[in-house]
Amino acid sequence: MKRLQLQRWSSSVLSPQARAGSRLPRRIQHGLRYQSTNPFPVTDAEAEQLFEEEPSRSSIRPSQISKHALPSPPVEAARESAKLAALHARLYLPSRLPLETLGRTLVDESADPNANFNNESLATLGHDLLTQYTSEYLICTYPRLPMTVIFAAMYAYVGPKTLAAMTNEWGVELAAAPGGEVDPGHLQFRRLAPGTNPNETPMRTDRRWEEQTWRRSVTSKVVNDNVFGDPVRASVNPKLLAKAAAKNTAGVSAEEASAQFVRAVVGAIYLHAGRPAAKRFFEQHFLSRHLNISDLFNFSEPARDLARLCARESFEPPVAKVLSETGRLSRHPVFVVGIFSGKDKLGEGAGSSLLEARSRASVAALKAWYLYSPMNVRLPNSMEEDGAAPWKPVHVDLGEVIV
Amino acid sequence: MASTLATAKRPLLSLPFLSPSSCELMPLTSRRSQSSYRRTKQRLRVKPDASFGPSMTQVQGDHIVYNPPSSAPSVYHTPAKFLPNDDIRRSLRTDASVTHRNSTDITSPNETPGLKRYHLNPSDVLEIRRLRTSDPLTWSRSKLAKRFDCSPLFISMVCGASPEKKEMQKQVLEAVQSRWGTKRRMAREDRKLRKESWGRDC
Repeated sequence: MKRLQLQRWSSSVLSPQARAGSRLPRRIQHGLRYQSTNPFPVTDAEAEQLFEEEPSRSSIRPSQISKHALPSPPVEAARESAKLAALHARLYLPSRLPLETLGRTLVDESADPNANFNNESLATLGHDLLTQYTSEYLICTYPRLPMTVIFAAMYAYVGPKTLAAMTNEWGVELAAAPGGEVDPGHLQFRRLAPGTNPNETPMRTDRRWEEQTWRRSVTSKVVNDNVFGDPVRASVNPKLLAKAAAKNTAGVSAEEASAQFVRAVVGAIYLHAGRPAAKRFFEQHFLSRHLNISDLFNFSEPARDLARLCARESFEPPVAKVLSETGRLSRHPVFVVGIFSGKDKLGEGAGSSLLEARSRASVAALKAWYLYSPMNVRLPNSMEEDGAAPWKPVHVDLGEVIV
Repeated sequence: MASTLATAKRPLLSLPFLSPSSCELMPLTSRRSQSSYRRTKQRLRVKPDASFGPSMTQVQGDHIVYNPPSSAPSVYHTPAKFLPNDDIRRSLRTDASVTHRNSTDITSPNETPGLKRYHLNPSDVLEIRRLRTSDPLTWSRSKLAKRFDCSPLFISMVCGASPEKKEMQKQVLEAVQSRWGTKRRMAREDRKLRKESWGRDC
C-alpha cells in the first residue's frame, strides 16, 4: 500500500501559520492575523455577512492588532511558551508535531470562534479516531459483549469524564479567561456563566418521539444515538451556528473543553506524525487505563437469562447445586452454590442465602459467557499496515440473550 | 489497710497480676518467656499441606507447585462449554485438568427439574381464562394452578388478572404497608436494595 501524503491532506485543516515548513516568509506572519477575528461581540448582521463571504475568508487583512485585542494567543507566541514546550516533552509527542499546533489544540471553540485558530476541526478528527480504535478493540477482544456494556465501556475509555481526568493528569492548567495575552500553554475556553446548570444542555433531537417519555430500545440507540448511547443534538442550521458563535454568549464546562483538547491532540498527532504514531499514542494513553469490564454488568433476572441461554445454545438446562455450606442454622450462614449444565460447571457463587448464592452463581455464569475472549486478538486497523497477513474474520455468534 | 481487705474479698483467680510469673502492668495475654519458647515454637511448626509436597507420581526433581489460595473463580476464565468450537482451548481442557468433584454426588437444593409435560389443551386454557375473569376472588392463581396441575407461572402466562382485581390487591397491600413502622419499612427497602446488588455482583 502506498504511503498516504498526510501533509497534503492536512493543509485543509491546519492554518497556514501552524504548518511546519510553510513557504510563507516569517516576517509576514509576525504580528499579523490572517482573518477578521474580532474579539468584540459582532452584531447579527455582521455575522451573517461573515458567513456569506466564506470563500474569501483567507484574504489577508494586514492590520496591526495588539495581543490584548486577539481572542486567543497569536501563533508565534507558541515558540516562547515554556509551558507548551514542557507539555510537548512530557507527553513525549513526536517532534514532527510543531508547538504551534499543540498550542492550537488548547484553544477551544468558545474562546476563539475562528475555525482556523481553534481546535474544533482537530477534535472532530480525534474523536472519530478514538471511538474507532476503542470500539474495534472492545468488539474484537470481547466479541460477545452486550450492546449496553459496550456503550458503558466506550464511555469509560473515551468519554468526556475520562478525557477531562487525563487533561488533569497531563498537567494542563485552565486559563481563567481566554485572550491574546494568555500563555498558550493554558487551556483556553469561555466559562459557563455562574448559575447555569452544565448538565442541562439544549437536547433537542430531530425525532419528535424522543420528546415523549417513551422507552428507548438499545436498537434505537445503536441507530440514532452517539457512540456512548446518549441522544445526539439535533442538526442545527450552520447559519444559526455561526450567529451563535459570533455572539459568543454561551460558554462550555471545563470538562467539555478538556475533552475537546485531548481529542484535538490525537487528531493533531494523526495529521502531523501519521497513523502509527496515533495508534501508539492511543495504546499508551487510553488502552493502558485499567477498566474491569466485569463490573459494568447488571442483571435483573440472571437465573432466567441463563436458562434461556442454555436453551438457545442447546446445552442441558442449568441446575444449581450446593458445593459447600457453613452455619446453616446460624445468623450468618454462607452457601457456595455451583451452576451445572450436565456435568460441566458454568459458574460458582457464594451468598448468605441459597437464593442469593444461586443468583450470584448465575451472574458468574452469564459473565463467563459474555466475557469470552479469543486467543490471538487481531484488530481490523492492523490491516492498514504494509504487508499485513490476510484478514480472518472475528468470532460472531447469536448475540446477547433476549428474554 | 482498707484496700487490702477489699482485695481479699475478690477471688484470687480473677486477679492474674497476683501470680508470681508476671508483673503488675502486664496485659492479660500470655507472654513468651525462656521457659515457654520451645513449646510455642513447636506448636507453630505445622506440617505442610500434602499438596505442597511432591506427589507419588511425579519425579523427585524440579516441579511446579500449583496451590492457589481458595477464592471465587474468575469470570474471565471461560468454562470449556462456553468456548466456541473453533477455539483451541476447548481441546486443551481435558477432564484431568478440571479437578472439581463429580457433579452427580452433589445434592441439589431444590428437586431436580422434571420434564415438561404439556398436558393442558386449548380448551383447558379457555377454561382457565373464563374462571379467572368470572370470579377472580375464588379462582386465584394458586387455586387455578392446583386444579389444573400446573405452575402459577403458567397461569399468569395464560391470562392476566382483571383490573378490578389488581386494584383490590393494591388496596390490600397499601393497608398492610400502612401498618408498618419505620424499622420494618427501612428493613424492607434495604432487603430490596441488597437483592438488586446480587445482579451487579457487589
